[in-house]
Amino acid sequence: MPVASFRLSSIPAVFTIAMAIVPVLRGDDPPPLDVPDAVAATEAEMKPYREMISLSEASIDMLPIQGGTFQMGTPEDDPEIEEDDGPQRTVKISPFWMSKFEITWDAYDVWMSDLDVFRRRQENLVASPREQLAEAFQLSQPTKPYTDMTFGMGKRGYPAICMTQHAARTFCRWLSAKTGRFYRLPTEAEWEYACRAGTTTAYSFGDDPEQLDDYAWYEANSEGAYQRVGKKRPNPWGLHDMHGNVAEWVLDQYTEEGYEPSDETLVDPLVIPMTLYPRTVRGGSWDQFADECRSAARDGSDEEWIAQDPQNPVSIWYLTDALHVGFRIVRPLHPPTPEEDAAKWDRSEPVQVERPQAEAGEH
Amino acid sequence: MTKPAPSQLPEVNEDAGTSSVSRRTFLRNSGTVTAAASLLASAPRGVHAAADNTIQVALVGCGGRGTGAAANALSVKNGPIKLVAMADVFESKLNPSYDQLVKQFPDQVDATKDRRFIDFDGYKHAMDCLSPGDVVILATPPAFRWPHFTYAIEKGLNVFMEKPVTVDGPSSRKMLELGQQSVAKNMKVGVGLMCRHCAARQELYDRIKGGEIGDILMMRAYRMAGPTGSADTKRMPAGSNELLYQIANFHGFLWASGGAFSDFLIHNIDECCWMKDAWPVEAKACGGRHYRADSVDQNFDTYSVEYTFADGTKLLLNGRTMPGCHDEFASYAHGTKGLAVISTAAHTAAKCRIYRGQKITPKELAWSFPPDEPNPYQLEWDHLIAAIRDDRPYNEVERGVQASLVTAMGRMAAHTGQVITYDDILNSDHEFAPDVAKLAFDSPPPLRSDSEGRYPIPKPGLVTSREY
Repeated sequence: MPVASFRLSSIPAVFTIAMAIVPVLRGDDPPPLDVPDAVAATEAEMKPYREMISLSEASIDMLPIQGGTFQMGTPEDDPEIEEDDGPQRTVKISPFWMSKFEITWDAYDVWMSDLDVFRRRQENLVASPREQLAEAFQLSQPTKPYTDMTFGMGKRGYPAICMTQHAARTFCRWLSAKTGRFYRLPTEAEWEYACRAGTTTAYSFGDDPEQLDDYAWYEANSEGAYQRVGKKRPNPWGLHDMHGNVAEWVLDQYTEEGYEPSDETLVDPLVIPMTLYPRTVRGGSWDQFADECRSAARDGSDEEWIAQDPQNPVSIWYLTDALHVGFRIVRPLHPPTPEEDAAKWDRSEPVQVERPQAEAGEH
Repeated sequence: MTKPAPSQLPEVNEDAGTSSVSRRTFLRNSGTVTAAASLLASAPRGVHAAADNTIQVALVGCGGRGTGAAANALSVKNGPIKLVAMADVFESKLNPSYDQLVKQFPDQVDATKDRRFIDFDGYKHAMDCLSPGDVVILATPPAFRWPHFTYAIEKGLNVFMEKPVTVDGPSSRKMLELGQQSVAKNMKVGVGLMCRHCAARQELYDRIKGGEIGDILMMRAYRMAGPTGSADTKRMPAGSNELLYQIANFHGFLWASGGAFSDFLIHNIDECCWMKDAWPVEAKACGGRHYRADSVDQNFDTYSVEYTFADGTKLLLNGRTMPGCHDEFASYAHGTKGLAVISTAAHTAAKCRIYRGQKITPKELAWSFPPDEPNPYQLEWDHLIAAIRDDRPYNEVERGVQASLVTAMGRMAAHTGQVITYDDILNSDHEFAPDVAKLAFDSPPPLRSDSEGRYPIPKPGLVTSREY
């Protein structure tokens, strides 16, 4: 890895590299970190496991999601249908693991603030081969957030927010390099499949928004802030906060006019994003109404989400005004080859490049 | 302007906090100035001498903040204004600053190559490009503020200077005297404590004055985040120019910046003192450096200060630069009838609010400033340029020095482990960089490292009359 060991404070940002040219996991890479129950060759062997983030106390609980076929989108006869969340299509999903909770600050901060690197430095430790690989995805992020990104809403155990989709994607690539297991954002289809958890109703618990209070933090009960993850009831597959708390990044471009109609069964569909805005978030949030938290409800990112960024050009990592946006991660049972990854899962345009002259300046 | 004479300041004690007259006067002025600004585009008058009423600007110190200040200056919409000269000691700062400003303001940047200066005396050459009544932006690290301001006074220029404006007692005494001279010369001088120009905070101030939270009993301020700026300074690379290394990493060295404490905490301290309408008279503090590893700077990574005002009211300040911890970047005032949120997360948007009782809960919200706050970094420039065009008294130096000084008071309390009074810090004889005005590329740096590249650090309880 020729770019693995830059120290962020000592190099001008102009030397940092675009994410797209960093190689992903390769055959000659060091073996994955050993954590219990994380290995499976077949769907039947998939178990829940706890992914560990080395040199930190953070971990991420992963749940197996069996593959299957479902109707994606809101039925035409549903009065809540919006222009963007139909027409329904038949979608086949391959098996994957999904994080039980939204990614918390505990895990996200290890990447965002380079806590593992900081710890190595304080304790005079040598970077393991995996950590050397991971460095390419963290130290190339030279600008630290200018403000307190928790906005006073809490940190430990609370969901991370205000990241761009690019930052969430980069977190996944860092985590993949660090662990040796392939993580990424879910596709929109995977997300809805997991949210529905076999249900066909508006929410994973039925159609009655009156019950939403048992399952979600949303406008009516959040008291104007996100809440600790996992405090509400899970959905039938054990996933928490799929409705509400923070909206969650998925990989897809957002399409205001809804889905491309199809009579055929679509297999693992993905609308590769070719513009920075709008991209899709799912699940609604603490700041949104009940109907926006439905299993099929969609929302698209907007430049308004970065309106208060004082930097010019604006950050590629932080969305100053997206206090309602976080993410969770998936790990496909069968990871793509680097070529497949580059062609589909990791592909997005325009390529995000750190601005020249980025510096952690004081104002 | 009916400011108390700066010469009275060394005798502060009870008077230390009573800049209320000048503050209120300032507020009235800034209100009228804002209102007047829109009327003035076609009717400039007063001291500004240029025949066509174009205000010329020179930028001294072309880092991120200086470039931002220049962009704000060129964005003022009440008459022609252009950037004509730039100076820095780093070409690597000046060039990208110039490129960015040209790109953003192609018709307003006229700092031709012969008016861009890379040298320690570049500030003189840049100011020599201006005429009396033009504006120079002083945005180098604060160590250089007083010599640069001295020359601006000599040239009869208006000034915008970044905070802090001083780093220690001796330079504060110099700046108070210079401030007095600049008032006497009717210079308009803005200081980059932009929160004072924030519309949300100004309305909050009026509401606190109107009794909406009762009497202030206690205030709290926090800036707790990960490593910031150049505060966590690594050992100098072999073969470097040590003076330039220290200037490039100015947050790491007390002589250059007043350290992380002064540069990072001054805004939260200042906005609290504004709401209290007073300056604290003493400080006691804890602090230490838990994580140092191979860093060689002079900063602690935790600071906790108890400031006391003349009436016994407290301001509790917490600063931390450790990653992975609870983050908070906010200020609060607790009164007998309620709680005011002075700022919420960094400087803007402030999201000022008042709650009934002492708890932040939506149920008890009594008032909040509406969304879409105007940007205070722009407002401070709108106000300054309007005052110049309208020839109104406008001079923030005294207030800027006081804010810098009470900030240094808390810092010295932490670094020495002693109770430090306003008099102590004002009359301190430890001048961190007495020869700063004479520095040149080949000068030895004001702070020397030991044979292993380490610099003197504070030793609370052992070194008590100086900070290192």
